[in-house]
Amino acid sequence: MTVLEFSTPRVAPFLLGLLRDPIIWLILLIFAVGTLTSEYYFTALNIENLMRSIAVIGLLSLGMTVVLLTGRIDLSVAALMIFSVIVGVVVMTEIGPMLGSRWLVRGNTYAGPIVPVILIALATGIAVGALNGIGVAYFKVASFIMTLVSLTALRGFNYVLTNGHPYYLKAPFYSWIGDSKMVGIPISFVIFLLVLLALMGFIHGTMRGGRFYAIGGNEKAALYAGIKTQRYVVLAYAISGLCAAIAGIIFTARLKSVDAPLAAGYELTAIAIAVIGGSALAGGVGSPWRTLLGSVAFAAGLNLLAIWGVGTWYQNLAIGVVLIISVGLSQMSRKKTQA
Amino acid sequence: MTEKVGEHVMTMSTLETQVASQARPPDAWRHLSVSETSRVAVLIALLIAGQAITPSFLSLANIHVILLAVAAIGIMAYGMTLVVITGEIDLSIAGIAILSCIAGGLMIPTGSAALVIGTTLLTGLAIGLINGILVAALGIPSLITTLGMLGISRALANIFSGGQALYPEPIAAYLWLGRGDLVGIPLPVVLLVVLGAAAIALTKYSIFGRALYATGGNVKAAALSGINVVGVRAVVFAISGACAALAGMLESARLSYINPAGFEGMELSVLAVTVLGGASLSGGSGSITGTVVAALIIGIVNNLLNQLGVSIYLQQVVTAAVILAVVMPGMWQRGIAK
Repeated sequence: MTVLEFSTPRVAPFLLGLLRDPIIWLILLIFAVGTLTSEYYFTALNIENLMRSIAVIGLLSLGMTVVLLTGRIDLSVAALMIFSVIVGVVVMTEIGPMLGSRWLVRGNTYAGPIVPVILIALATGIAVGALNGIGVAYFKVASFIMTLVSLTALRGFNYVLTNGHPYYLKAPFYSWIGDSKMVGIPISFVIFLLVLLALMGFIHGTMRGGRFYAIGGNEKAALYAGIKTQRYVVLAYAISGLCAAIAGIIFTARLKSVDAPLAAGYELTAIAIAVIGGSALAGGVGSPWRTLLGSVAFAAGLNLLAIWGVGTWYQNLAIGVVLIISVGLSQMSRKKTQA
Repeated sequence: MTEKVGEHVMTMSTLETQVASQARPPDAWRHLSVSETSRVAVLIALLIAGQAITPSFLSLANIHVILLAVAAIGIMAYGMTLVVITGEIDLSIAGIAILSCIAGGLMIPTGSAALVIGTTLLTGLAIGLINGILVAALGIPSLITTLGMLGISRALANIFSGGQALYPEPIAAYLWLGRGDLVGIPLPVVLLVVLGAAAIALTKYSIFGRALYATGGNVKAAALSGINVVGVRAVVFAISGACAALAGMLESARLSYINPAGFEGMELSVLAVTVLGGASLSGGSGSITGTVVAALIIGIVNNLLNQLGVSIYLQQVVTAAVILAVVMPGMWQRGIAK
């Protein structure tokens, strides 16, 4: 009885609020237009593709959302997602000979154990993210300078570490991450949903998570209220780095290779999605759940362009335009609510 | 974008500096950030080190090489410095450079040098102005505006050129811009010096220069004292766009090759030069002379790394390290970095 009393009044406003949200209507509109204009849009295969692309860009934007919550920005995510996988492979190919086995076989194919590669990649993501955070929080480097510096340095390292050649990753487990499905849902999307749930649980369910909002809302007030703001900034960047590493693993597992110039410019996409999902660049506003909606809208839109046969250059053009317009609109709506 | 509690206040307006010095106790660490003298000292040390490493370092030929390599970055950095003084940032310069060169390149079949060069410069000016209007009039953060514009202009460059490089071979005057010389001095270097002098005059000795520092120091105060802050910022972005187009054109002319995928990551090198030159990203400070010295420092470091056979990708890492080393001293300031 108590459960009923408690849940009904909460679910109804949630659903009503959802219907008032313009982004829901945008998503429905894209799906409707897609279904009407192409017979391929609403097929199992295309929805599967859509889920796969949502998983990669969604993970990047989840990390970006956490950093944006603190009022900062992370431009290094795209370079980091490739860097972490490259480090995983390179470290293991160096370790291999020490254990008396050669894991890098002909054609630059990595044939060693894949689980350590994944673990090293995840650790690298967290470590580089934390370094970004330390630079911003403790050394007081402006966040976009700090992460622009990491972006450049990581891209440089990517070329140095790979010598400009792609590594091929042929392990059954890696292919499973990239290609397999669970009750019709790609594994990559399942991983994305798990990360989303974990992040929502942390941010909305724990006191520590709530402090990101406090920092983004008014950092000085948060500091004076006794919150160790610097630690939370480092944590935010570490989360972003971890998300980037997971995105990198999913991305390269699909391609079964990793190459230095991959995923160039994905940081733009991640920022655009977070902002479409309602995150404010000034901090304090946004949520992982709304970023999910943002990534669905964004990926569905791009997918529609691709199905219509619009080329990548025009898609890039669209990303830039959408980024500027969405930030502009959110800026204006905020000014209105303040006035 | 950047909100520091104990930010630099080095505006040209004497009133403001007076107010600032009254309001804040003298901060001993402030002078530790890269000052004009230490920059010049680093430059001289590099010159001596360079000569010690390679005997041909200070030869006329190598000095030409260094200055030619610095010309494009330096000219772009003039524009960037003006933008950063107003407290904004322009990440779109590489995109503007390439789109303007492609737009100009499309005029090559007409055979008219004036049309090719004019189209290139006007395109840069126009895109810069669009940036300025979006930032100053519509209030969209410059970081986002110019990041978006970088993507847009790169995409448009590919769309207009079909992804194919263009060759300005038939336009002699165009090639002369990159390869010609005036009394023995390469033309890009002449332009670097002339534009540098113009930029110094503009920032130090003009009303517009005062307005620039005032806007960057405190937008509200500047607006209330009758400065057209929207206009100032729009003009500054337009200048940066034109500088980017010119620099792109000099490079394309030198290589006689307009590459729609060119100038990758150029914005960071230019930003590095600007910040190394003493411009604070919170606005209100910075100087063209500082930028010139910083451009020479970066040029010499790259020249030395080249002579030592360091790969271009490692040079990227070194550039990143240099810029980080320069902005790190901010850690001594109190306050919050965003």
